[in-house]
Amino acid sequence: MTEVVQELPGPTKDALAQLLLGIADDEFVIGFWDSEWTGIAPMLEEDVATSSISQDEIGHARALYEMLAELTGQDADEIAFGRQPEAYRHAALMNHPRTDWAFTVARRYLYETADAVRLEALARSSYEPLAQLAAKMRREERYHLMHLDAWLRRLAGDADAHDRLSAALRALWPDALVVFSPVPDEELLVRGGQLPEPMTALGARWLEQVSPVLADLRLPGPTPDDLAAGAEDGRTRRTDDFRWLHGEFTMVAASERGATW
Amino acid sequence: MSDGTGLGDRVWEVFRQEAEGDPMIHSGNVRAPDEELAVHYAREFYGRRQESHRLWVVARDAITELDDPDLLKPPFDRSFKRPGGYLIKHKLEAAKARAGSPAGEGEPE
Repeated sequence: MTEVVQELPGPTKDALAQLLLGIADDEFVIGFWDSEWTGIAPMLEEDVATSSISQDEIGHARALYEMLAELTGQDADEIAFGRQPEAYRHAALMNHPRTDWAFTVARRYLYETADAVRLEALARSSYEPLAQLAAKMRREERYHLMHLDAWLRRLAGDADAHDRLSAALRALWPDALVVFSPVPDEELLVRGGQLPEPMTALGARWLEQVSPVLADLRLPGPTPDDLAAGAEDGRTRRTDDFRWLHGEFTMVAASERGATW
Repeated sequence: MSDGTGLGDRVWEVFRQEAEGDPMIHSGNVRAPDEELAVHYAREFYGRRQESHRLWVVARDAITELDDPDLLKPPFDRSFKRPGGYLIKHKLEAAKARAGSPAGEGEPE
């Protein structure tokens, strides 16, 4: 990581901080949700794979929190563990609990494919540390995508699993496009190239990619209502499920505030 | 182990190479329902810590096994079938001289 924080005008810096926080929280929260499968995944090999992928995501969150901390002069651990649930900025897609395996696969498939589109754009960011990190993350996310694609097709080929997968997708679609909700003052980032394209353009590209895949598997795509849902408060609306998870993942840090681990 | 899901019904043997040119060494095995997930799990178990340059993943039922002791450990003294004890170096040199050219690589004793 580069040591020198590029000089940015204050408002652009604030917008960039919001962008980084949203992505970091996405990775952090999905990583913690899916780590809930450790010990109870469908089979031992998948238990290891799911846990390892979750760990990768938390690793990506860590790198992003550190970049954010450098940008704003805060402490990365404090950002990760020191906030109240309402201050987290993950997409509402990550508000839902782990639920069953089909639900986890459905959410993860939506997130991984959306994240891939977002990372492709961020790898072209004019903010050099972000461009470099996004390029690194993309190499690791390739395997995540392959694995989730394999599971989506596998579950879609079984009658009972297909039903569960469809129900999960219908429940998740209203919150899925929130991954591409515009960042506050996003136009500053688009103008400066820190975010090479508007979020809405990335969201449209993502839908073009996933819709035919889901249609081929006879799985539901978004309804017009889903597409119109929740863009404004999609990254601020928090649920009791998330508050419970927050209690879990902050438990150790909260037991001894400011301790050196 | 049968888990009732059918997911672990097939066993795949995994071979690992540390660096290009090294031999492929048997590492262990994974259970997976198909080749695609077998490759993913092999990567998780034998490659996620950057310890491998290449993996081979082979369905155990695609391996032809030979473990018949009548074929592999015949009971009679077969020491005359081992090359040790025969001095062929001079014969080989003479043969090379007759042929008038080096006889390839790997000079046996």
